[in-house]
Amino acid sequence: MFLYILRRLPQTILVIFGVTLVTFIALQIGGDPTYLFISDRASPEEIEATRIKLGFDKPLYIQYFNYVIKLLQLDFGNSLYFGQSAMTIILETLPATIELTIFSMLIAIFGSIPFGIFAAIYRGTWIDGTLMAIAMLGQSIPSFWLGIMCILYISLNVGWLPISGHVPFLMPLFQGNFIEAFKNLPTTLTYLILPGFAVAFYSVARNARLIRSSMLEVLSQDYVRTAKSKGLTNYVVIMRHAMRNAWLPVVTIIGLEFGFMISGVVVVEVIFAWPGLGRTIFDAIANRDIPLVQAAVVVISVFVIIINLITDLVYAKLDPRIKL
Amino acid sequence: MNRSESSSNHKTTNGNTSGSSSFLKLLSALIQNKWALISVVWLFFIIIVAIFASELSPLDPNKNHIMERVSPPLTLDKKGDMKYLIGSDALGRDGLSRLIYGAQVSLLVGFTAVFIGGILGTLLGILAGYYGRLIDDIIMRLADIQLAFPFILLAILFLVVLGEGLINLILVLGVGQWVTYARIARAQTISQKEKEYVEAAKALGVSNFNIMFGSILPNIFAPLIVIASFNVASVILAEAALSFLGLGVPPQIPTWGAMLAESRDHIFAKRWWLPFFPGMAILITVLAFNIVGDWLRDYLDPRLKEIE
Amino acid sequence: MKKLITGVAIVVGLILPASFSFAAPPDDTFVVGLPTDTRGLEPAQISSRHTANIMKHMFGQLYSVSASGSIDPNLAESYSISEDGKEYTFTLQEGLTCHDGEALTAEDAAYSFNRVADPELAFTGNSAGFVYKSIDFKEARADSELDVTIVLGGPNHIALGLISEIYVHCKDSYENMTKEEAATNPVGSGPYEFVKWDKGSQIVMKKTANPPIPANFENIIWRVIPEASTRTAELIAGNVDMITNASPDQVEAIDASSTAKVAKVQGTRRMYVGFHQGPEFAVTPGGAAIQKPEVRRALQYAVDVEAICANLLNAPCTRMTGIVNPNNAHPTLEPYPYDPEIAEYLLDQAGYPRDANGVRFEMTLQAGEGRYLNDKNVVLAICQYLDDIGVKTKCDILDWSSVYIPLIIEKKAGPMYFIGSGGATWSPLYDMADLSKPDSGPNYTKWQNEEWFKGWKVINNTNNEYIIRREVDRMLEVFYNEGPWLHLYFQPDFYGVSNRVDWSPRRDEKVDLFSATLK
Repeated sequence: MFLYILRRLPQTILVIFGVTLVTFIALQIGGDPTYLFISDRASPEEIEATRIKLGFDKPLYIQYFNYVIKLLQLDFGNSLYFGQSAMTIILETLPATIELTIFSMLIAIFGSIPFGIFAAIYRGTWIDGTLMAIAMLGQSIPSFWLGIMCILYISLNVGWLPISGHVPFLMPLFQGNFIEAFKNLPTTLTYLILPGFAVAFYSVARNARLIRSSMLEVLSQDYVRTAKSKGLTNYVVIMRHAMRNAWLPVVTIIGLEFGFMISGVVVVEVIFAWPGLGRTIFDAIANRDIPLVQAAVVVISVFVIIINLITDLVYAKLDPRIKL
Repeated sequence: MNRSESSSNHKTTNGNTSGSSSFLKLLSALIQNKWALISVVWLFFIIIVAIFASELSPLDPNKNHIMERVSPPLTLDKKGDMKYLIGSDALGRDGLSRLIYGAQVSLLVGFTAVFIGGILGTLLGILAGYYGRLIDDIIMRLADIQLAFPFILLAILFLVVLGEGLINLILVLGVGQWVTYARIARAQTISQKEKEYVEAAKALGVSNFNIMFGSILPNIFAPLIVIASFNVASVILAEAALSFLGLGVPPQIPTWGAMLAESRDHIFAKRWWLPFFPGMAILITVLAFNIVGDWLRDYLDPRLKEIE
Repeated sequence: MKKLITGVAIVVGLILPASFSFAAPPDDTFVVGLPTDTRGLEPAQISSRHTANIMKHMFGQLYSVSASGSIDPNLAESYSISEDGKEYTFTLQEGLTCHDGEALTAEDAAYSFNRVADPELAFTGNSAGFVYKSIDFKEARADSELDVTIVLGGPNHIALGLISEIYVHCKDSYENMTKEEAATNPVGSGPYEFVKWDKGSQIVMKKTANPPIPANFENIIWRVIPEASTRTAELIAGNVDMITNASPDQVEAIDASSTAKVAKVQGTRRMYVGFHQGPEFAVTPGGAAIQKPEVRRALQYAVDVEAICANLLNAPCTRMTGIVNPNNAHPTLEPYPYDPEIAEYLLDQAGYPRDANGVRFEMTLQAGEGRYLNDKNVVLAICQYLDDIGVKTKCDILDWSSVYIPLIIEKKAGPMYFIGSGGATWSPLYDMADLSKPDSGPNYTKWQNEEWFKGWKVINNTNNEYIIRREVDRMLEVFYNEGPWLHLYFQPDFYGVSNRVDWSPRRDEKVDLFSATLK
């Protein structure tokens, strides 16, 4: 296990650098980024002064080189748009996205299990048909549409849930403010429900179908049928075993799931006014805020890579047939 | 039960399956599965509409009639003939014409992006699987880098920089897809590499290029087509999301995703036809691609279940 | 399975009591829904209307422009102008303090002004970029405990209004902060003090113990809600008291709800299509055509501005007659009517008949997207109108901040471009200042007309109001006949206002909540 981690480390670092290089190149392709940082009515001299001050007049390779040096010192520079340290801004909005992502992943994993299992057990009946139909639909709806419809019909018309906004939980928690964090928790959960659902629905649908087929495979095997005919107790034990196996395909995709979640998170954060990293990145890219974008991308990449590593390890542990 | 169906493919000496008999088997399996059949029929219908858009469209999809904006469906013109069958949009442009041309553009974007991603990914995957070692490592590292980027961020990044444009959109969506193809192609190539027909070809002095693309490629086609089907569905959805974020096609070009995104302003005004028609078009078409992909996968080889 | 069910039950149990806590704001709090977050809370660096509105509540100004266009005392009680018109001396109120307790005196006011111009801090934005250039700011000095003097490069009729755009704060607090710290830790001087900024989510402020100008609500919360339909939903649900920029298509729905209404105001922002007059475009056929005043006049008749307003903006309008807002505009000029036949006739006369394909000449119209009310659709409609009279127009709608603005600032957008320019109600000269010199920043068309620009010499050399007005009218006639703008409209503003509060919006896009009350 330890050796595996050691082997993966250089690869991981290479991937992170690749990611920063791609971001850097991408943002320079479009031309001179100086224009975002002056008022509509500034003069050419001011534009030039700003360009020099921000370092955009230097050749590209020097800009990247300086950047890499700073990166090694964990200095992501100041956000060009906000003027504060890029890391500070990311750390301010990261907790909200972590809340949303974790909540969505929990829904995606745990919400899909009963879905998939029931469909498998009642295979061929109307229960299976309905559940699978919902699952197919779930993979065919644009997520922003789902979000807007939820707001209109669940929040606005009926008032069961809040429309938009955020009450922080993780942020006070990280700052050691436990009382405030736990006081906020119920409200945070209330605000999390709709956005979490909107992000997770696609995954729930897909996972449900996966679990169903994997369950069906296990159920169709001989030893299960034998146990079933022999009596109830054996059957229950085998069912538990079947369910545990049904898990595996879900675990394999959790890593990919995380990356996919982030994609859904950006759209949902905009609709539900969720003040997270997805929105920060989107605004930052529109503002050509290179340091902020790069810092955010590095942070997210590191997360994704770590989650991938963890899921690989978990999968290996669960299924000893797999060689590392 | 599915396993016995698929083992009826029989292999000839160069590893290819014989053409016409498997096609007939495909067809008969399709007819037996009601949902897959309906989906295929729908897709054919949509493709025909897309190809003949200019003949089928009643009006110019880009001509504004701002005095007649947001007319509801079944609006008649002054002479009493049908003018806006499914209504007009915020600029008075005909909904039906835009829906028809939207089919053209949405499918164009979908197929082209998947084509680009598919070619790129398959190429890289076969190369990685066949040559192994350094080439494999490099290609898989590139794949890892790409996977570390959540797709939407990559898309946002390049679209904001490169600017709007149909071509940019297709390129971004296409290039973003290559990894799934590459992985499957690589895995399949690795398993095919050990087979007899490859050994035989090498012994006969057939060039690597011919082996890879003449012999191996046709054999691994099947799972790639399955992926392609799912991918067209996800590209159409991705285009809708990008339109929502303001990074989709340029304003005049109609796509279902853009029409849906533009209808947001009008939900409160209860102009249901603005989101309903493009929304249903997306829903049904994406559903159809997903169903066909599912069915194809089950038909070809149930062991490919992990493909999504 | 049992564990799962108990787990869900616990979560639901936690949530249920909280479900009823997200209702209308409390009686002492006013909540605003904004489409974007502010970039920072630095008083010397303001580049957007939203930020200016927020800062206005936290920082005082020497004088401030009221909703009706008068310029009233704020932190200062009175002012005087020197003989040569270059020095404005303001006398501050007594007993003013900044929010950290420091006494606010003339020294602080002078510091505030000098800080904006500090080359080390290198501020850009409205204050340093537009205001200081327009008044040719030299320096500020404290003449006594309460007297501060602003020194300009020369006499300027709109200086007072412009000086009112600068925010005043205390020296000690800002001297001790770095630029980065200042952006998130505002120490203000206005009626409301800063409480917190949850990035991307909200800015919270509360009334100070001794506000320098009267204010009603105890707390103001500025909530960031980027998606327009979500903002409207929050307004209708009663969770938000006011939203700026309500979409024209949502007006009926908001009015029909029992919780809010839309307040429509005739704004002061001049929306126009510019005819680029520079040599770089004159070499293209379209660019050459619009060099001729007769062609520009012809095109004025081609666009149905009133239909655009009525249909796309949901706000009937009268077309503008020129660069100046209606209460100060030329008294007798009538707006160009929509008459495509006249347009076609004039273009024939000007030497641009339709060819075999029906095209007179080709044109490109550039615009940015998402900045102004329904801008994309307005531009598409204009392109269509031009197409209809034979000017084949390529409608180039670009990304606002990364593509369009750079083109505009470098004066390279064209040959025709769509944009809006903020205006005012308190003086025609402010509106005309876009073209105060041939090389003015906002003169994106590079128009060089002698007849217009020579008028400024006359205006700047006199204080006689009658002469100034006569010259203004003469210049406006020149602008009407040969100007570089295709006249459109003054942008209407739609504010969604909750029925819970009593508040009316201003015409100049400035938002102040001081006089808002609970109904």
